[in-house]
Amino acid sequence: MGMEALQMELQMMGYRLNYAFVINAIICALIIGPLLGALGTMVVAKRMAFFSQAVGNAALTGVGIGVLIGESYTSPYVSMFSFCILFALLLNFTRNHTKMSSDTLIGVFLSISLALGASLLLFISAKVNTHILQTILFGSILTVSKTDIAVLSVVAIILLAVGIPLFNKMLLASLNPALAHVRGVRVQLMEYIFVLMITIITVACVKIIGAVLVEALLLIPAAAARNLNKSLGGFVLWSMIFSLSSCLLGITIPMLFDIPVPSGGAIILVAATFFLITSLMRGLLPQFKEAKI
Amino acid sequence: MGPKISVKNLNLTLGTTRVLDSVDLEAKPGEVHCIIGPNGGGKTSTLRCILGQMPHTGDIEFEWEVNETIGYIPQVLEFDRFLPVTVNNFMAMTVQTTPAFFGLRGIFKDEVHNALKRLGLEGKEKRMMGSLSGGEKQRLLFAQALVPEPSLIILDEPMTALDEAGMTVFEELIIELKNEGKTILWVNHDMEQVGRLSDTITVVDSQVIAHGPTETTLTESMRHGNFRGDLKGVAA
Repeated sequence: MGMEALQMELQMMGYRLNYAFVINAIICALIIGPLLGALGTMVVAKRMAFFSQAVGNAALTGVGIGVLIGESYTSPYVSMFSFCILFALLLNFTRNHTKMSSDTLIGVFLSISLALGASLLLFISAKVNTHILQTILFGSILTVSKTDIAVLSVVAIILLAVGIPLFNKMLLASLNPALAHVRGVRVQLMEYIFVLMITIITVACVKIIGAVLVEALLLIPAAAARNLNKSLGGFVLWSMIFSLSSCLLGITIPMLFDIPVPSGGAIILVAATFFLITSLMRGLLPQFKEAKI
Repeated sequence: MGPKISVKNLNLTLGTTRVLDSVDLEAKPGEVHCIIGPNGGGKTSTLRCILGQMPHTGDIEFEWEVNETIGYIPQVLEFDRFLPVTVNNFMAMTVQTTPAFFGLRGIFKDEVHNALKRLGLEGKEKRMMGSLSGGEKQRLLFAQALVPEPSLIILDEPMTALDEAGMTVFEELIIELKNEGKTILWVNHDMEQVGRLSDTITVVDSQVIAHGPTETTLTESMRHGNFRGDLKGVAA
């Protein structure tokens, strides 16, 4: 009897994973995971984690504007991309033209974008199903469509085409701008390209991970990978592995076990588990302690 | 042979502050030229203008004889000490386009190895940058400046964290590079070292106080850090 129940349960799990929306979500995870993992190493190296948080918050405003001007409330990409790109460019421009420290400025912009986005969304909530707010904030695999996959694929191709040849230049520009300049790097241009990269991937990931949590998936897998690695190769590779695993497990576990949590939340909780484990390993195992010298 | 550098009537104003006022400077091919002067006098600003990194007025000319490669050695390298970047990763980042996480490309391996060896960093290729001492980081900054082979080397006081052994390595290398015909432009605080190693100097304190051959221009009071007090012997 017990065996039969187990067989039934396994069969049900198989059915659940065959739903079209689950397959869409897994395709998204296969794209998002490695991409955010790799980009996250740059975010950590350049100490830009809160920048992506600010852009994530700006996406809320983008959604609000989209609904107001009549875009589809499930995929208001034109408004989201337009507003977030403007927001990111303005933030970076202000950072370059004031003497304010980056964290202060990003903090100010982050608060403004959250206040603006939350106000606008509550203002328009009468027009849309309020459930959409939860989807935007924390992600939902149920709403991932072929359009979302297409947008994500285009963004992924752009990021790979731009990010791979410019990786060294962007990293060197953040480590020592004067040295990078002598090496022929256009430092300010690299900064703008990097913030645009973060912005477009953040917007493309809002549907599946959620506006509030995209930053976490840029940061946590990279932070977990940093705990274990001493070289850039291992850092990038493990960050990609942690990020991909977090996406796949975060999407499939709630489905398989019928746990009613948003996909974004589940993905970040899995990533956080990786971070916890690697932090313990770093603290307890001597081979990971070199960086503390 | 390295390039000749001519700077004429260099002016730099930041906000309302006149940082550099009609600065002239000339470094001949293959010579070691030191820029000296008091703190805040505009030495690093002069270098950064020469490198095209600050908005200035005036003429800056390079007369290149061979390749137009500049090896630049900054004062310090600010680095998150927990960032997993090895010495080899850093060298890859500076010399190649292929992302450093793919490793150092084969065509650069010999050149990078030789540069690290010249700075006494052989065997430390896999060390994390964060675990290097201040002196080792400065040696690494010098090593990156040697790849690809430069004809002009610009140093911005990169010796602050060096111990005696590191200083010896640096000085020997400066002499070697000079003997190879490279032009060396060097912001330096160590007057004793300036006296021993440089051919010519320019003393800058917003304006040029003095310039000429080290032997005749570097006065005793300058050796003691007093750049305006005694101008005897100035070849202006």
